[in-house]
Amino acid sequence: MSKLSLIGMLRRSLVHRRARSLSALIAMTVSAGVATALLTLYANLDAKLHKEFRSFGANVVITAPATAPLRPDALEKVRQAAGPDALAAEFAYAVATTDRGTPVVVAGTDFAAVKRLDSWWQVDAWPDASAANAALLGQRAAQFVADERAVILTFAGHSVTLQGVGRLRTGGDEDSRIYMPLAAFNAWTGVAPTVIELQIPGGATTVDASISRLRHALPELQVQPVRALVEGESKIVDRTHALMYGAVLLIALTVAISVLATLSASVLERRRDFALMKALGGSQLHLMGMFLLEALVLSIAGVAAGFLVGSAAAWAISETNFHTATLPRLSVLPLVLLLNIAIAAMAALFPARVLRGLQPAALLKGE
Amino acid sequence: MLAGIAILLGTTAVTAMLAIATTIGDRIHKELAVYGANIVVYPKTDLLDVKIGGVDVKPSTGGSYLKESDLAKLKTIFWANNITGISPEFHRAGKIFVVDGATGGPFNSRAIWRENDPVMASLQTFPVTAVGYWFDHRFGSLVTGAPQLHPWWRLEGRWPVEHPIDSKHVEGAQEIVLGSTLAKRLGMHIGDWINMGTEFEGDIVGIVNTGDATEQQILYPLDADEQVMPIEPDGKHIDEVQRDISRVEVSARTKPEDAFARKDPDSLSPQQREIWYCRPYANSIAYQIREVIPGAEAGQVRRVEQSEGNVLNRISGLMWLVSAAALLAAGFAVSAAMATAVLERRGEIGLMRSLGASKSAIAVLFYAESGLLAIFAGSLGYLIGSGLAAWLGARIFSGDGGSAEAVLNPVLLPVVVALALVVAIAGSTPSIRSALRMDPSAVLRADA
Repeated sequence: MSKLSLIGMLRRSLVHRRARSLSALIAMTVSAGVATALLTLYANLDAKLHKEFRSFGANVVITAPATAPLRPDALEKVRQAAGPDALAAEFAYAVATTDRGTPVVVAGTDFAAVKRLDSWWQVDAWPDASAANAALLGQRAAQFVADERAVILTFAGHSVTLQGVGRLRTGGDEDSRIYMPLAAFNAWTGVAPTVIELQIPGGATTVDASISRLRHALPELQVQPVRALVEGESKIVDRTHALMYGAVLLIALTVAISVLATLSASVLERRRDFALMKALGGSQLHLMGMFLLEALVLSIAGVAAGFLVGSAAAWAISETNFHTATLPRLSVLPLVLLLNIAIAAMAALFPARVLRGLQPAALLKGE
Repeated sequence: MLAGIAILLGTTAVTAMLAIATTIGDRIHKELAVYGANIVVYPKTDLLDVKIGGVDVKPSTGGSYLKESDLAKLKTIFWANNITGISPEFHRAGKIFVVDGATGGPFNSRAIWRENDPVMASLQTFPVTAVGYWFDHRFGSLVTGAPQLHPWWRLEGRWPVEHPIDSKHVEGAQEIVLGSTLAKRLGMHIGDWINMGTEFEGDIVGIVNTGDATEQQILYPLDADEQVMPIEPDGKHIDEVQRDISRVEVSARTKPEDAFARKDPDSLSPQQREIWYCRPYANSIAYQIREVIPGAEAGQVRRVEQSEGNVLNRISGLMWLVSAAALLAAGFAVSAAMATAVLERRGEIGLMRSLGASKSAIAVLFYAESGLLAIFAGSLGYLIGSGLAAWLGARIFSGDGGSAEAVLNPVLLPVVVALALVVAIAGSTPSIRSALRMDPSAVLRADA
């Protein structure tokens, strides 16, 4: 009979007790999978939540001083200072008179930008970008217009005929206004934009940093955060973050302790192997090394499988919940690996210590 | 023992997660209340607001109003209990002196006069809006008002106390709060007073910083309306019960909008309409408000309502999915532990079999053991998990009156214990079966 190498022993030990090895492997896979899934989600959580908050619309309002309108390049400068992720739309306002003689606020803006910025607007149909005289009528304003298809407005003696393409419902001031394309608005009234609404993704610190950049770049303008939005967003994201953190810890602990228990039971069960090896002359160190190696092999295999399973789970969760994919993050792998190796090492060493004091002869006799 | 610990931990985690997931909706709703009202009620008017950036460009005079006394009817609507805050407003345009017309020097008077008052014609003035609000107003069981619906307002000083108090200047002076921009413009501070109307004075008790148009306004208690603005332009006294309101903000707990919520109730069949009516959609609550308050138009504030629903759905969805992950992990852990526990006792099974016990008797014995263990450890885990959830909830969502909900959720107990039972029995089945299939003598010899 050839001499057994360490690798040979390991292989035999794993293959011979196939069911037991498999259950240990499954336990490790589950623990690695859960850890991977939760860590992957957790790493991405803030970005995902901040993205959801984009639906609240502009969180910063930039207003021109009362004496002068915005400079023509203001929007471009704002976009530069706020970063590529920010959404911005400029507005020009004037009070015109409808064909029924009611004063109404008319706003000129870029519909494409507003559509992205103010996703909560309920609009029957957004105007076509090419239509120069298309207008959106606020639901209250629409009641003061004789013909929604041909809205005649008068401003300082000039009148214009707009084609209303749909009604706008928001429950806010927008309901009482009429929106039209900026170019046509400017040509009609000669009024330049005075307000830029800006949406900066991120929490309070990001927004504050952007605001100070904006104030620096455009010192003559008034830059105001919409405080309710900025504060609320940070608060909710922080709390959800904390909640997730608690959940991750709780679940990780449960899984870790259960896996630890399962694995150490499987080692304890092999008291007799342990005793036999010791009787045949294995040193304590040698035997512990043996157990440890076995546990390590299992845990690495478990992490490999668990990473795949967990990444898939994280992907599925964010796909169903946030409708965006979360790609596997290799950065969580070291942490998961460390966690599982720690569990496996504890699972192997804890019973080995218990068994150390036992006499091989007594064990083999079955006492 | 091992299996017991596994079940205990598993149920603890599952209970805690489920307890959090079931209450997260309410908690997040409370957090989202910082965005203010999600329903707004205004009179069905024949005038259009002419507001730019929150400032009335052409303040309308006259027009139609709601009556403050009608607000009590909000307590009678189907979803009255879902209303968490109400803030009525009354906007009154006025003007403030800047320069004394007679002397040309700075005018020290602190008077606000109504729009169109002939006295104002000779003076340099700037327009200002005084807004009447509720401050810590009792409404049924609620204490509500403007500060509650605008949690982002930052106040220096304190809010006015409703009902007139004795004042150092004039009897019946009112406490008021100035917007910070206006206060800076007038150079006024807490402790100063302002002459509002012809014979009543407002003591400034607070300066509020809001980040919006309110910073340029005067805020006064709505119930002072009678004294601050005692006479209508046409000379009529304002009856207390008939106090006017230009707008009401309502914060209500709602169900996020779905396709059904967007339906027009009047186009639905009677049964469908009943279902629509009895769901706490913002649209249904607005509909019910329209029904009880004559001449009112009510609608959801889409910016708040739509986005809140969105965020609420995402966060509670996330918590449910994480709970599902916890459930799965706990299930695996428990069944693995049960399998180990049974396998360890193969010797016992062999002994029992060789002593003549039938397979079914042994299976029943083991199942009974697992079941008892599951019930006991499950109940204990339920208690620990509930405590953990309460602790976690209190820590994370501190200061929102989190004590409102009970710590123990009785519905979860049977659910959690039943789950523990199912998982324990399912987990032990394969190992019991494999143990029973073995030859008793072989097992006994091998395990001697």
